Amino acid sequence: MFKRAMFLVLALALSCSAALAADAAKEIKIGFVYVSPVGDAGWSYSHDLARQELEKHSDISTYYMESVPEGADSERVILSMARKGYDLIFTTSFGYMDPTLKVAKQFPKTAFMHASGYKTSENVGNYFGRIYQSRYLTGMVAGLMTKKNQIGYVAAFPIPEVVRGINAFTLGVRAVNPKAEVRVVWTKTWYDPALEKDAAISLLDIGVDVIAQHQDSPGPQEAAQDRGAYSVGYHSDMSRFAPEAHLVAAVWNWVPFYLEAVDQVRKGTWQPKSDWPGMESGIVDISPYGKMVPEDVRATVDQRKQEIVDGKYVVFSGPINDQSGKLRVEPGKVLSDQELISFDWFVDGVVGTMN
Amino acid sequence: MMSGWRIVSRTEPREWGSVVIFAAAFALSLLICGLLLQVQGKDGALGVGLLLSGGFGHLYSYGETLLKAIPIFLCSLGVALCFRLQIWNIGAEGQYVIGTLGGTWFVLTFASLPGWLLLPGMLISAMLAGGFWACVSAVLRQRFGMNEIISTLMLNYIGIEILKYLIYGPWRDPAAMNFPVSPYFSDSAVIAQIWNSSFWLDFGLSENIVDVMAQLCGRAHWGILSCLIAGCLCSFFLQKTRLGYEITAAGSNAKAARFAGIPYSRLVILVMFICGALAGLAGIQECSATLERLEPHIVVGYGYTAVVVAWLAKLRTVRIAFFAIILAGLRVGVENVQLELQVSNSFANTLEGIILITVLAGQFFNDYSLKRKFS
Amino acid sequence: MEDFLPYLAVLLPAMTAAISTGAPILYATLGELVMERGGVLNLGVEGMMMVGALAAFLGCYHTGSPWFGLLCGGFSAMLMSMLHGAICLIFQGSQVVSGLALTIFGTGLANYLGTPYIQMKIQGFTALDVPLLSSIPVLGPIFFQQDVLVYLSYILPFLLWWLLMRTRFGLALRATGENPAAVRAAGISPGAVRWAALMLGGFLVGLGGAYLALASMRMWVDNLVSGRGWIAVALVIFAFWRPGRAVFGVYLFSGITAYLFRAQALGVGIPTAFLSMLPYLMTLAVLLASSLRGKDSGAPADLANNLRPED
Repeated sequence: MFKRAMFLVLALALSCSAALAADAAKEIKIGFVYVSPVGDAGWSYSHDLARQELEKHSDISTYYMESVPEGADSERVILSMARKGYDLIFTTSFGYMDPTLKVAKQFPKTAFMHASGYKTSENVGNYFGRIYQSRYLTGMVAGLMTKKNQIGYVAAFPIPEVVRGINAFTLGVRAVNPKAEVRVVWTKTWYDPALEKDAAISLLDIGVDVIAQHQDSPGPQEAAQDRGAYSVGYHSDMSRFAPEAHLVAAVWNWVPFYLEAVDQVRKGTWQPKSDWPGMESGIVDISPYGKMVPEDVRATVDQRKQEIVDGKYVVFSGPINDQSGKLRVEPGKVLSDQELISFDWFVDGVVGTMN
Repeated sequence: MMSGWRIVSRTEPREWGSVVIFAAAFALSLLICGLLLQVQGKDGALGVGLLLSGGFGHLYSYGETLLKAIPIFLCSLGVALCFRLQIWNIGAEGQYVIGTLGGTWFVLTFASLPGWLLLPGMLISAMLAGGFWACVSAVLRQRFGMNEIISTLMLNYIGIEILKYLIYGPWRDPAAMNFPVSPYFSDSAVIAQIWNSSFWLDFGLSENIVDVMAQLCGRAHWGILSCLIAGCLCSFFLQKTRLGYEITAAGSNAKAARFAGIPYSRLVILVMFICGALAGLAGIQECSATLERLEPHIVVGYGYTAVVVAWLAKLRTVRIAFFAIILAGLRVGVENVQLELQVSNSFANTLEGIILITVLAGQFFNDYSLKRKFS
Repeated sequence: MEDFLPYLAVLLPAMTAAISTGAPILYATLGELVMERGGVLNLGVEGMMMVGALAAFLGCYHTGSPWFGLLCGGFSAMLMSMLHGAICLIFQGSQVVSGLALTIFGTGLANYLGTPYIQMKIQGFTALDVPLLSSIPVLGPIFFQQDVLVYLSYILPFLLWWLLMRTRFGLALRATGENPAAVRAAGISPGAVRWAALMLGGFLVGLGGAYLALASMRMWVDNLVSGRGWIAVALVIFAFWRPGRAVFGVYLFSGITAYLFRAQALGVGIPTAFLSMLPYLMTLAVLLASSLRGKDSGAPADLANNLRPED
């Protein structure tokens, strides 16, 4: 028993001294809180790719915690990161919003950044990327590649972020192919690969020939590959799961954004703000096209991409009708960010319901 | 069963021996976890140290551990009561959920009530809802002969789905940008944290003490009072009242109890109701004190942990408190391991599973002894 | 009228999908059924399936042989089952608690050890048409254009039924679940029978997990089982502990899920909360109905009770 106790004391002492040594080198410590396992190829994975890039810098050390349940537990995780003296903490799921604000109040010197929410405080900023711009472009690819004019969309939960993605995708489809329809199936899971694959197969069974997804697993891609259909990925380039099917994917690239935030914190110029950058900043993009996408399709989409980057084209600009055909956005008007954040209706061309 | 050895039931329970057995099983499971860390190229000994220091080694560990122990304790207390009557209620999870719904319903419907009505109303409404949900299983069992393990398990899933339906539908807060969360509870429906730094500062306490106390108490809330009350009442009920005696008696022999005129069916419904009420209380306190509104993430499996805790504690109240704190501390501590060693989150489950299995197996040596067989 | 046509048309593919999505649940349900018939309640199915799935993946990944993977899956879950046996049959632990512990442990262990392999692909089992049979109109595509594990799952219920109802071993197994004292009086060790039930059942549960890794996904992903083990536990009760009804229950459940997905894709709003509740509501309703008709649910009388070691 005595030996054991000694061992523990030693272990504790070691960890403390390691912490002291780190302080001496004046490196900046960054914490990441993820909602799902990092190996999911989805949302958390996209953040972790950037974290790994940051880690390559010798003066930055990063720490992460995966699969942190939103709710009471997340507050403790954020709290312990703050206690360990991290300089900047990224909390990357909507449910972390209130816990982040609560912890931030107790640690005014630590910078917090919360993704996908809408609240800020003296030391909490929020950020997200306009991934819907990428969605729109992938929708164009899907609209041009479909032969049956039927596109399937495997979606997770009916929350504004997902609805916004479906709407942008459908606008993209309709922009190049007014006859095409987008059929939505809700799985009510973020991550159940087998179930999400089944959901995609069910769409393929009713005759869609392109599968898009808002899920964290590559299940739907697998289904498209098995059935010889096309697929559109999300979060990261998913072509390795479906080399024959994968047309293109809407992807995140958090590296430049995170590097900039780290730099600001180091220089002391960091300001809490609501940051919602789009394609022009490189935070969102589309992956390289699959080899089956013909040159003219690429050209059409690339041209629109350039217009979006240059600010000449706005995705949610009128006229936009809803599912019932009612005009929701007047010609010449655009939807405000506020309206985008709380989207709860489908645009014309979506077949499916909101629950 | 075993050649050369005979298994003999102990007539007297081990006293201090049981502590030694628990410690041995616990140490064994820590050893296995250390080895598992080594398998993935991490420092196992350091990992175990981080685990223990995270849960129990810092000033601020205790508040967090206590916070997590509250719902586990309450659920487990109720489950243990059912187990005493040989009712295998594994539905504390569902009762916890339905309790939260009952409490939330009250808060959302009567938001304008004064605080002295709103808070008790919320708690009572939660307890009634949880109790009612548990009674469904009790009635199914007594009236229709349905196995309670099955019905409570099924009702757990159904309860969680009802929660999802409400939170994605009627109870969705329009002010929260259509995210699946309920509106915030009004301030008077929020259970306060035990340590209120600004109050004590105004009171004239020195800043150092306030700071230390704030760290020590952390997020622990006044729900701890309900644990003390419920624990004392339960002990008193079981040991000093006729009804409590009947429960223990009926649990050890249902048929004999019926002959003795003990109303068995009513006892079943009563203990199930109490269990559901306690689980519901745990649910609404967790909701009100930590999140201040209803979110789908309120469901984290405390109900299942409660079954395990009740069993490990052999249904005894003080031991339930002990095991609730141990398990809560481990869950808090394992986050420290994850953060420092960057192991995947599944390590937490593995650890908990191993501890449960070794301690469960170890209890054998409490109840039985091995004697050499002489032939 | 023509509005209905698409809904009829998707029946066929829905049934095809139901057969293959139901297969892993069928294996697990039958495995749990064998164990419970012998009087051992094992709530660890979810964890056992996880371990089975990982072992199957690893076996196939390292040797390239899906059959070897399948065996790994079966045997590893059998080991987990024997752990349950060790706790309940030797150490007299509670079956309910041990099962829960097994689920927590198995899920954690498989995810933990599987971390380095996430999203690595394997060859696995792919669809293999049965000559002649697969060209039968309507039935052919549903039943005979599946993978080989599905074909095995057609035979398995019959084998099990024969084993349970027509052999001496089956008689001993059922008797052990009902009245172990009588089994002992007949000169058979109920403990040994329960071990056998645990090993056989565990192996089958492992095949269910293996199916998910080798045939459904053909790669390793976190949380592959995602609650299917619990559905299997519910279906055993739904089936009144009878293999034939278990098959019906599994395909009914997977069929409804598959059909509702397709109906949703056609544009019908299905309240998904109801969909997810369905297997559990179904089980409760069936149990209730049988009780109202005064029928016994057929639960083994000695289910979840431990044998006393002194005996």
